[in-house]
Amino acid sequence: MAQAVDGPDARARTGDLAAFEAVMRQYERLVLVTALRLLGNLEDAKDVSQEVFLRLYRNLDKVESASNYQAWLYRVTVNLCHDVGRKRNRSVAYEDVPDQVSPEADPQQSLTSAERHKVMQMSLRSLSEKERAAVVLRDLEGLSTEEVARALGSSEATVRSQISKARVKMRDFVERYFRRRV
Amino acid sequence: MNCVEWEERIALYAGGDLSTPEAHAVERHVAECAGCQLLLSGLRASLALVQEAHGEPIEAAHFAAVRARVLAEIEGGRARRWRFAWMYAMAAAAVVLLVAGWPRTELRMVLPVPSAPAAPVVAKVVLPRPGKVATVAAKRVKEPEPEPAESMVVKLLTNDPDVVIYWITGTKGE
Repeated sequence: MAQAVDGPDARARTGDLAAFEAVMRQYERLVLVTALRLLGNLEDAKDVSQEVFLRLYRNLDKVESASNYQAWLYRVTVNLCHDVGRKRNRSVAYEDVPDQVSPEADPQQSLTSAERHKVMQMSLRSLSEKERAAVVLRDLEGLSTEEVARALGSSEATVRSQISKARVKMRDFVERYFRRRV
Repeated sequence: MNCVEWEERIALYAGGDLSTPEAHAVERHVAECAGCQLLLSGLRASLALVQEAHGEPIEAAHFAAVRARVLAEIEGGRARRWRFAWMYAMAAAAVVLLVAGWPRTELRMVLPVPSAPAAPVVAKVVLPRPGKVATVAAKRVKEPEPEPAESMVVKLLTNDPDVVIYWITGTKGE
């Protein structure tokens, strides 16, 4: 999770670009991967990451401490992805699953990295936007329910409800996906 | 409580989101319910799959591309701000100089006034009279070309910065 960025953070506030680059390096995975999971498209995720870091640069003095960086970055990333998703509205029906996996006794074990990635992205896209955000932050990024609630601006009860529904839907999707192949 | 009502709690249990007493309650139910055992194993399997896929690395080039774009944007913004700052500084300096009335010395500017276009050439033809030894002569009569008007503009500055006198004159004192 987040590490302190006292050195680069403090220097970045004074306009030191090398220090800001160090801050970016520290959080780039968090931002890009979260955006990628939420949007399902690498180019969109890169655009969002760029905008997130530009906003961070403009708001360095408002993000008071390094410990707040993570929450701030998750919140801004989720909000920007929400804006992009609203414009593009990419929803995939369960029936849109392509025939890619060869039938095996235990198909989940035989998945290649690319196939696993595809199943993950498709199962995420089977969720509503709020469920996806909650499950990405909780199950993939490993935030606590409280941190997810703070990042999404929701109550913990709402987040728990979204997470449980999302898990059931993802499990349904994955089982349905493999049942077709066996 | 039927199994549908257990579904939400089992889903939370699969991700470790229940308190200890709640977790124990789920474990007791799952221990005696085959359907919920299946649900729990499916939840765990799908969670493991997506977490494994999520953990796979992304090419470093993508991160580098984002970093480069961000830094270029920041540097471009800085350059634009400096350009504007210089423009504003120069404009402000000019205004200050004008308001302060410096330099207060007379400034003489001589601006050439464009010459008038050349007059057209007029040719007169004299025809021979009958019975006379005549010569046909054609005489071109040129009208004198106007000399280029050399005018100048003199700008006189006064002690009052709001009063500036312009004197436009020809070199012959016209």
